[in-house]
Amino acid sequence: MNPYRCVFQMGIEKSLEYRTNFVLTMTSSIFPIMIQTIMWTYFYGHTDATVSTGYTYSQIMVYTLLATLVSQFVSTSFAWQINEDIKRGGLNKYLVRPVHYGAYQFCSFLGEKIPQLLLLLLVAVAVIFFSVTVFGLTLSGTRVFLFVISLLFALALNFFLFFTVALTSFWLTDVNHFFATISIVFVVISGGILPLDIFGQKAMLLTKLLPFGYTTQFPVNIINGRYNLQMVGIGFLCQLFWIVFFGLLSESLWKKGLRHYVAVGG
Amino acid sequence: MEIEVKHLKKEFSYYKKMVGLSGSLHNLFHRETLTKEAVQDISFSVAKGEIIGLLGPNGAGKTTTLKMLSGILYPTSGQALVGGFIPWERKNAFKQRFSIVMGQKNQLWWDLPASDSFYLNKCIFNIDDQQYIRTIEELSELLEVKELMNVQVRRLSLGERMKMEILAALIHRPDILFLDEPTIGLDIVSQQKIRNFLRYYNEQKKTTIILTSHYMRDIEELCERAVIISQGQVVYDGMLSKINHLMGDKKVLTLKFTEDISIHQLTSFGKVRECKCREGILELPKEGLRKTMADILSCLPVEDFTVTEIPLEESIALIFKKEGAVL
Repeated sequence: MNPYRCVFQMGIEKSLEYRTNFVLTMTSSIFPIMIQTIMWTYFYGHTDATVSTGYTYSQIMVYTLLATLVSQFVSTSFAWQINEDIKRGGLNKYLVRPVHYGAYQFCSFLGEKIPQLLLLLLVAVAVIFFSVTVFGLTLSGTRVFLFVISLLFALALNFFLFFTVALTSFWLTDVNHFFATISIVFVVISGGILPLDIFGQKAMLLTKLLPFGYTTQFPVNIINGRYNLQMVGIGFLCQLFWIVFFGLLSESLWKKGLRHYVAVGG
Repeated sequence: MEIEVKHLKKEFSYYKKMVGLSGSLHNLFHRETLTKEAVQDISFSVAKGEIIGLLGPNGAGKTTTLKMLSGILYPTSGQALVGGFIPWERKNAFKQRFSIVMGQKNQLWWDLPASDSFYLNKCIFNIDDQQYIRTIEELSELLEVKELMNVQVRRLSLGERMKMEILAALIHRPDILFLDEPTIGLDIVSQQKIRNFLRYYNEQKKTTIILTSHYMRDIEELCERAVIISQGQVVYDGMLSKINHLMGDKKVLTLKFTEDISIHQLTSFGKVRECKCREGILELPKEGLRKTMADILSCLPVEDFTVTEIPLEESIALIFKKEGAVL
């Protein structure tokens, strides 16, 4: 068997090993959706939010529900593990075996995520059904297909983005709090909480120029119909560009970082 | 030579920190960078199939040396060839040929049974099914872990886990093996089993082994040759049996008497290590030992005696002290 496929399978096994943790992880994905629903319903019920945001209540609900799902779909939690590997010498075991650390982490990350993704899929079906029946979201086969492709690219992009950030551990040593902050900031500036175009054209332009929006806002805008096919095509190219960019950057940081690596501990 | 090390050197930079909170606050704004020479200038070689002990006090540079030889660390300067490869180039062909076991580091997946990690290693090293099954059968039998293959690693005892670590390291049948304190923290029975296994494995497979350990029994039972490092430099490279010669060829004589004797009665025969009531321990030169023994037997009420070599720990400790190291 290919070693990376093996790592992928072991990742799945690992995530299924602790049932309570698995169930709690799943349950926790429902809470942000509830909070978003309550918050926006209150906000739209008591203010003239349609004017200030440019979104109707239905549109904002569809956006935030889908954005919450997408940001959970692409979320990562391996950065602290990489930090620990670098800080405490756990990297040694990867360096002495003929295996690519980045690819190993990616497959392990995907494997650990798969069971969560399958359950998330059920939530997604419910949310999309709800969006179609209650908020009037119109779907087409093409949009769903493009949405799925963009999600896969978003997942890869988010991995490389966080992998690059995690590799700063070679120089910064203990950066777990930094990662926690970065995670929150990334969710916000990727449009995971609310659509960034409510802040105006400049914010929208910035979202298009920076990589973050392509992890969350871009897939959501495909499924909710805000982007036409041309915009989707440009978006895919941008996603691919940022994947390659962070892939190369992380490879370069890895090579430079290994010269800094002190492999502490006996 | 399977392993050749020439003038290997490794420097680390670190920050000086004063004790306490004020030191931490001071460090926030100003850090004094210091350099530590973990390995200063090490040269030695190991022949194919040889098993050598790399000895030294804590912080002597043993582990750092092994990390450079396995390609984990880049050296500051110097050269090394392991199985014909420069380790820090980290070529896959090199990784196929060696393995490292670190007693204080875990390479198995903590939450899964060890058999999963073994299978992963099989895939990583591209081992065919037949060889993999044969290796697992043989090694699990020898290490007595057959029944534990499907138990989560985190549920294993320290000794069991170490056996699994060794097994995982040997799945690709490396012909060079670095063992960094493989028996640390283990009970005497587990230590002995691991020693027996390593001896057998070395004899059967002609594996070249560098072993570090603070347990002298490991070294005495497994190695004929030792390289002793102190303060990042080689202070002894030779046969273990010759270390005693280096310390002045002395023997230890333990005596039991039929009646109480005083220290003054012993001092005329040699250096008294211990004297209490009916027991005495003397340190005597090997030369003239027979005559001294005869004198003691004729002058003192000896009931029983034993003659032994100076314990290896003591000889090595003396070598460290000679080099100004702290044991």
